[in-house]
Amino acid sequence: MERRDRAHVLSGRALERPDRESRLAYAFVFPLLLAFVFFYLWPAFNTLAGSLFRWGLLNPWSIAQPADWDFVGLQNYVDTLTSARFWNAAINTGIWLVIFPILVTVVSLVLSIRIWQTPRAGATFRTVFILPMTISLAAAGVIWTFMYDPDFGVLTRFVEWAGIDFAIDWGPIRFQTSQWLSDPGIIDLGFSQIRLVNLSLIVAGFWAFTGFGVITYTAGLTAVSSELVEAAQVDGATTRQVIRNVLIPQLKGPMTVVATISVIFALRTFDVVWVITQGGPAQDSEVLAVLLWKQAFVFLDSPQAGLATAVAIIMSAVLIVGAWPYLRGLTREKT
Amino acid sequence: MRIRRAIVLGAAMVIVVAACGGNGSGDTTTTGGDGAPQTTTGDDGGTQSVSGDLSIVHTWTGSEQEAFEAVLAGFEEANAEVNLSRVEIPFGELNAQLTQQFAAGSAPDVTVALPGLIRLFAAQGFLMPLDGLWDGWMADGSYTEPLREIASADGTPYGVWFKGNVNGLIWYSPDRMDDLGIEPPATWEEFIAALDAVEAEGGEPFAVGGADLWPLTQWWDPILARVAGADVFNGLVDGSVSWDDPAVVESFEVFGDFIANYFPADALDRGFVEATCARVDGAAEFQNQGAFVNLVARGECDDSLVPGEDFTFFLMPKFDEAAAEVQFVSGDLFAVNADTANPDAALALVEYLGSAEAQTIWAERGGFVAPNSQVSTDVYPDVNDQRAAELWPADPSVAAVYDLDDFIGGEIQTVLREALQQFVRDQDVDAIVQSMVEVDERVRG
Repeated sequence: MERRDRAHVLSGRALERPDRESRLAYAFVFPLLLAFVFFYLWPAFNTLAGSLFRWGLLNPWSIAQPADWDFVGLQNYVDTLTSARFWNAAINTGIWLVIFPILVTVVSLVLSIRIWQTPRAGATFRTVFILPMTISLAAAGVIWTFMYDPDFGVLTRFVEWAGIDFAIDWGPIRFQTSQWLSDPGIIDLGFSQIRLVNLSLIVAGFWAFTGFGVITYTAGLTAVSSELVEAAQVDGATTRQVIRNVLIPQLKGPMTVVATISVIFALRTFDVVWVITQGGPAQDSEVLAVLLWKQAFVFLDSPQAGLATAVAIIMSAVLIVGAWPYLRGLTREKT
Repeated sequence: MRIRRAIVLGAAMVIVVAACGGNGSGDTTTTGGDGAPQTTTGDDGGTQSVSGDLSIVHTWTGSEQEAFEAVLAGFEEANAEVNLSRVEIPFGELNAQLTQQFAAGSAPDVTVALPGLIRLFAAQGFLMPLDGLWDGWMADGSYTEPLREIASADGTPYGVWFKGNVNGLIWYSPDRMDDLGIEPPATWEEFIAALDAVEAEGGEPFAVGGADLWPLTQWWDPILARVAGADVFNGLVDGSVSWDDPAVVESFEVFGDFIANYFPADALDRGFVEATCARVDGAAEFQNQGAFVNLVARGECDDSLVPGEDFTFFLMPKFDEAAAEVQFVSGDLFAVNADTANPDAALALVEYLGSAEAQTIWAERGGFVAPNSQVSTDVYPDVNDQRAAELWPADPSVAAVYDLDDFIGGEIQTVLREALQQFVRDQDVDAIVQSMVEVDERVRG
């Protein structure tokens, strides 16, 4: 009741606002609104509409040329969701979605706290961990292609040097510390197989992305009150207790940011996969973004750009649902 | 008054633009009376002067790029008024990037392309027909009818052969074979016996390079051609033969046995160059590849190698001695953008690239088979290239099959390459046949 009254009062005030002031406000917002409409809303609408038609790169669908439209309705979504190739890519993307955010969120948290605990060398360590983030993901892919090289790769040499060149075969689980990009192993779930080559790619992506986590956590740690930490230490708290009971609760906000951005990164990952394996061998590491790209730009003789846009829409829907708690939190903070 | 002045000014501008623009589509001033584009060959047999900006896309890197640059230098020397810009696109990205550029109207004037892409682009009207050039070449015997067909779409040539490859060559080191007491095999049985002998000595028969996808098609194609024959091979290309045809299935079975017995465990770990160098370094005894290995082995692995002495090749033997001769070839062609702003220079460039003059420049450097039969085998720098050039099907009576997946292109090409990687791992004939039948039916109906 009270809220309704306040809304009443606000709308009343708005009505009282002089027209000139109102127009001025709209004038200030208009350029941004225009950019938003042209660069965000219009492409999104275009993609959504394009997913309802059959078209390809050689015969692009255009909203301005209805004579050339080949309307298929929801068939692109039906074809996509009944395609074994789509579900293979979805499983590979799922592997990214589960492992990548956990790796980034946890490991960069540990690294940030360790850096925070060593203030003297902190700047150096921060630089070391943040540096990979300044490299493009394509370049990171090239670097890790060399790392995994079976002949001269650092990882291969390290495995040989450390004497940890082994292979295990435990029923549904097979793993070996070699052939990192062709066949490092497999987990057979019965209904599906998880190809461990995806882990090799996730490690490369993690290496390139972990700097983001370190930066975000470091920013959060600088906001932690030193009095609070000192008070806990004076009260006899151990380092582990300080971390668990003082630091981590203070880092909930940054943790949400890191986890959410990592999920977004994992879902739309393309560069690293494309540069290192192009989704192979076979389709072992083909993620949704790679599948989408192939449908749009490689399968030229069977115009599948409509299917590609359907995949993009499905990915966007998953992304919005996945990031919803974070987005809602942001909105609440603002209001 | 102001309106009238604007109309007059506008009309004048239209006239000026029309006079300057000439032939945006390339088929007005450059098209002869017979509808074919005119060549730029002058009355004296020399090349007429052309000028202006011109762009060309190619895919070569390393030592091959250097050789191509030498070829282009020959054109620039003869056409100093042409400002030729070149763009190198990675081979694996070529189709996608060109498609985007053509669809967006920002394509290069001249581009390298494989036959599958040429047919696809020609059907969209993106390419300039090259009948005029081909009529001349056919008349003087530079090329054969099968080669013209490969460069054509619906009977009209849109491509120009530049670089040929003879495939199905088994590369080896003569010294190492002598040590193993193995003679170059002439029959399939001798071939298998040689591989068994290598394994008996604890050696690795083959370096494969399957990480790059396309080297696996260099295996599948010659085996298909030898087991199933040229008719079935070309039937798969044009869609008249199904992937579950018994001859095709038998080819997969032969290939599957071959993989199971003679492929290395790390066949999918190395790419083409790594595999080439692995064989050069002695990690494997043989490599099944095209004639271009002659250049790559020296350029990328060991520049002290002497062709013919340190490494040479034998042709993959016939699977069935009674079967007809069939040669598996591939190669790179060039095509002209139909909307090029400089059609005269573009035509001059592709005419040059298809000529014996241009191809001789690379042939002299090695690792190259000139598709133009006017190029003498004497120009090749070593015995490996000479022997490869002699295998080029200059005689139209010899059946020639072109690299299958490159010829088909698109989704079928991608799925075949991926399926071959999977086949290397599991040798599941039923699975690969089923996946190919499915994609072929979906794409070609």
